[in-house]
Amino acid sequence: MTLNPLPWSSFRLEGCTLTGGLSVTTEVTDGVTIIHGPAGCSQHNASLIHATLLDHDTPHLLRIHSSDLDEVGVIFGGEGALAACIREAAAGDPSAIFVLSTCVVQTIGDDVGGVCRRDWGVPVISIPSSGFLGGGFQDGMRNALIALGDLAGDRVEREGGITLVGEKNLEDDVEENFREVSRLLALLGEKVRLRFVRGIRGADIPEISRGRLNILREPELRAVGESFAARFGTPYLDSFPVGLSGSLRFIGETAGFLGVDPAGALEEERAFQDEALAGFEDLRGERISIGPSSGDTADPFAIELVSSLGLLLSEDGVPLPLPSPPPVGTGGLVRLLHRWRRVLHA
Amino acid sequence: MKQIALYGKGGIGKSTTAANLSAALAEMGMDVLQIGCDPKRDSTRMLMHGSWIPTVLDQVREGREASITPDQIVFRGFRGVRCVEAGGPEPGVGCAGRGIIATFQLLERLDSLKGDVILYDVLGDVVCGGFAMPMREGYAQEVYLVTSGELMSLYAANNICRAIARLAGRVRGRCRLAGVIGNGAGQAREEPLVRAFADRIHSRLVTFIPRDPIVQRAEINRMTVIEFAPDSAQAGVYRSLAKSILENRNLVIPTPLSMDDLESLAMEFIPA
Ligand SMILES: Nc1ncnc2c1ncn2[C@@H]1O[C@H](COP(=O)(O)OP(=O)(O)OP(=O)(O)O)[C@@H](O)[C@H]1O
Ligand SMILES: [Mg+2]
Repeated sequence: MTLNPLPWSSFRLEGCTLTGGLSVTTEVTDGVTIIHGPAGCSQHNASLIHATLLDHDTPHLLRIHSSDLDEVGVIFGGEGALAACIREAAAGDPSAIFVLSTCVVQTIGDDVGGVCRRDWGVPVISIPSSGFLGGGFQDGMRNALIALGDLAGDRVEREGGITLVGEKNLEDDVEENFREVSRLLALLGEKVRLRFVRGIRGADIPEISRGRLNILREPELRAVGESFAARFGTPYLDSFPVGLSGSLRFIGETAGFLGVDPAGALEEERAFQDEALAGFEDLRGERISIGPSSGDTADPFAIELVSSLGLLLSEDGVPLPLPSPPPVGTGGLVRLLHRWRRVLHA
Repeated sequence: MKQIALYGKGGIGKSTTAANLSAALAEMGMDVLQIGCDPKRDSTRMLMHGSWIPTVLDQVREGREASITPDQIVFRGFRGVRCVEAGGPEPGVGCAGRGIIATFQLLERLDSLKGDVILYDVLGDVVCGGFAMPMREGYAQEVYLVTSGELMSLYAANNICRAIARLAGRVRGRCRLAGVIGNGAGQAREEPLVRAFADRIHSRLVTFIPRDPIVQRAEINRMTVIEFAPDSAQAGVYRSLAKSILENRNLVIPTPLSMDDLESLAMEFIPA
């Protein structure tokens, strides 16, 4: 079917739009997410996310409800079951209710948006999802980020600071990456104002319109950057920094958006990088090989790192792991080099 | 046990034909079960003197499917014909096709699919897989196409041939085309056209039922023609249809026509 082609990344077994949507909505800690469909879809996705968080030693309670659609709902339409579920969730007085739709309710044509738009006393946001029919993890995540922007209202009060958009809440290094980006921003005298969306309350969402710059986690989220640029007039940088020169470029581009001089920050970061690399002088001259982490060539950041360190690339060298997604900033490279050292000196 | 299904364009006369066919078979002493597979639930109404019987999916909707008994969904009509209506959602919501599947599962669980003849009357527009249920393995092996000589009606019948050919080609696919039932629209040279169509798809015209105002008069009196006007010529036609169907052994996998062939066939009979 060509109408809704599955994204190329679906082979990564990251789940469907529900998993991606949940990875965003469950980070609004006083909100509730409803999965409109069979209870199994909620169970499956909740356990997937729970297992990942447990793996990272950061389990927390996920506030997920299911409309618990059954055969009767499929035959006669599921809007009644959704309404009942929203009513029940609203009684708990959450800051907002997020509604994700499964494959089956999309198939039978429930008007999910119509039900959400009724007056429920709390904001109810329908997130375009449709289970696997709506695409993969990335689509669900992107749609959830854009839809959550609806809670910001139309008034834009620019106050300053940086908004991080679309952090990968399910990745291992999410906090390390946050600290690294914060470190680089601090070199420019800037601070993160809002993590959109990670560990925030519903009342924090309007902050999305107040920062001076949005920094996206990765270029796949450009549609989110565009959406917020159009709605709130906020410019965006399309990725967290990757690689040695990439980190310097990140500083330069951020400074450009903010209209400040990056010279001092760049100098500090260059010194920081030199010092970091000096700590791995023992690796110089090692014969190594690196496999492609994605695509069919090794990432440029890895090639750059290898040559800066004086490692020798050769086909019969010791194979070194490359993480996907690539490490963030200089700090991410340092963590990678520690891993490489363990492999080389094993 | 003979299981047959009637398919054809919406409004072409499937339910009228089915009810009269059931009535005629019952008169012959057959134990007949007619199942309306249509949310409109009007298939068996004339056999029930105009009353709307509770549907299978009404019971399911009320959450009673666990405790349901056959007497809550199977009702005896004219000459003891057992009548079942699948029912379904309101237009525009839910999934009626899934409803048909659920109905079949329930009838099977209740062991209600029995008798000398089971007649499935399926809604006109077979829009999704659920409405092909009666043609699946274990249900109606014999499919009859009901059509008039109107091009759109032949077009719909031809489309259903495609479904039959596809299902017949499956492993253990037993469904076959048993014949074409002509139901007149009052068009000139209609019977020869429907007969030619039947031949071209490698089937045959079983009976041509003329258009007759007696059908509406019976309907207004909430009866089948067999009951309302047992001595009418039209009642005779329905009886001979019943006899032909009982004796019919001619089951084929049809060859659907291309749209061009269908149109040029119609051109031969319908003056431009
Ligand atoms: N041979 C006939 N002569 C006169 N009127 C007829 C004849 N056959 C059917 N009709 C009339 O045509 C109308 C539609 O018939 P019917 O409801 O049986 O069609 P159907 O194919 O079951 O429709 P649907 O696809 O909507 O279920 C009815 O009002 C019926 O009285
Ligand atoms: Mg009918």
